[in-house]
Amino acid sequence: MSYQTLKVERHGAVGWLIFDRPAAANAMDATMLDELEQAWVELDADPTVRVIVNTGEGKAFQTGVDVVQLSRDPQAMRVQSRRTRTATLKLTAWHNQVWKPVIAAVNGVCAGGGLHFVADADIVIAAANATFLDPHVSVGQVTAYEAIGLMAKMPVEAVMRMAFLGRHERTSAQRAYELGMVSQVVDPPENLRDEAQNLAEKIAQNSPAAMAATKRALWGALETGLTDACRNGARELVSMWGHPDQTEGPLSFTEKRDAEWAPMTGDTQP
Amino acid sequence: MTFSSYEFLKVERHGPVGWLINNRPDQLNAMNNAMRDEFETAWKELDADPAVRVIVHTGEGRAFQTGVDVTEIASDGVGMERYRESMETFDLRFTSWHNQVWKPVITAVNGLCAGGAFHWVADADIVLAASDAQFFDPHVSVGQVVSIEAIGLMRKMPVEAVMRMAFVGRHERMSAQRAYELGMVSQVVDPPENLRDEAQALAEKIAKNSPAAMAATKRALWGALETGLTDACRGGARELVSMWGHPDQTEGPLAFTEKRDPDWAELTPGDSDGPG
Repeated sequence: MSYQTLKVERHGAVGWLIFDRPAAANAMDATMLDELEQAWVELDADPTVRVIVNTGEGKAFQTGVDVVQLSRDPQAMRVQSRRTRTATLKLTAWHNQVWKPVIAAVNGVCAGGGLHFVADADIVIAAANATFLDPHVSVGQVTAYEAIGLMAKMPVEAVMRMAFLGRHERTSAQRAYELGMVSQVVDPPENLRDEAQNLAEKIAQNSPAAMAATKRALWGALETGLTDACRNGARELVSMWGHPDQTEGPLSFTEKRDAEWAPMTGDTQP
Repeated sequence: MTFSSYEFLKVERHGPVGWLINNRPDQLNAMNNAMRDEFETAWKELDADPAVRVIVHTGEGRAFQTGVDVTEIASDGVGMERYRESMETFDLRFTSWHNQVWKPVITAVNGLCAGGAFHWVADADIVLAASDAQFFDPHVSVGQVVSIEAIGLMRKMPVEAVMRMAFVGRHERMSAQRAYELGMVSQVVDPPENLRDEAQALAEKIAKNSPAAMAATKRALWGALETGLTDACRGGARELVSMWGHPDQTEGPLAFTEKRDPDWAELTPGDSDGPG
């Protein structure tokens, strides 16, 4: 696949999905909205990709829908407007049911719709100079999806504060770390991609099938009450019993060598 | 009250505080099948004993707990299959939550806390950690799924940190200090050897409160993890009203006025059933 608004790269076992409209602060125009779906599907389908990192070119990570295009050419956004209305968005890994681990590496400002990619990642790291804000209500828009996703994953007061302060306040990478919105702040900021690659390579050493079942169990748990979530999670857990990775894991550990995991086939889905 | 005897746990009483101590230090307190059965017996014994108001759970040696005993799994010819039925029906009995213990439970993490050990972090009401405690979840590094423990933790702390532990596996450890910052534990004890004293002191504070009110509170708060907000408040309101007219509601203010310790009603099995 070739892309106009994204870069899609592979570095070893790590797939990279990079927002690439730096002159527009990586805002999502209609082309990028289409390309995002293609890129997630491409990286998910590639068995050599074990982990995916999502970051941005330039000073911004991602700043949401391109309001310039929205105001000049609303027809171009017609499909995405419908998807927003019907909750059938395809922007993020979660929207596209990517069951590989996804790391968001926030390289700069993350505003409004950019928070989709923070809420829907498994792991989030940030450059020390990254900032977070949600300007929706400052331009007469409702904050919904992104904040709802974040509320399920971090202290809620901080999410509501961002929602209501709009463009008039920014959350620092340090505060995001304190709140558990991100698990690592990278300083100096220019080391962000190296740190993301390192983290991804650690994760890529683990069983792909076990990680896929884990991801389904944990994201599924956000859908129900605790006991039902545990019941569903138990099914994911048992689905791996008898899988060759469960013998290979302890064996490779005993033999002090890297594990040779079974390739992903999709047959672990319960 | 008849006390059971245990091979892989220690069960002790110190004043109103019941102690449940993982006791396979040479195996880093990994849970073999027999220990798994003993957990159910121990939780039920401590829950049924009216002299026990609060329960502390900790471990002997340098580990708190390290999950299931993989040596037994690998060598007994049965492996995880032994647990298939109980897992498929989600009929587990090794934590206080599994056993519907409505007394306050404190987990005091005395060292290494790995993999399945998170069951007892997730299912405790309060968690303390020694300053040298370390947390990690190696399941996916050995081809196992992370599920029940992480699902429990996700309800109680920032989710990103739980997912990071789940996917990084054995390649990274979380410190007690970071666990404190994230709200996974509420107190870091330094020096580490003071952990049991601090846990006992905390438990004794809790033991001064009304047992019946705490049981209803525990049912209300854990029940709230099962539903949406408004339904959780409805369920909580029933627990709240269930205590109205209970003798503790007169005794509490009276003892306060008379500047003496309250003489709480003994928690009866009926209290533990909730308002129904």
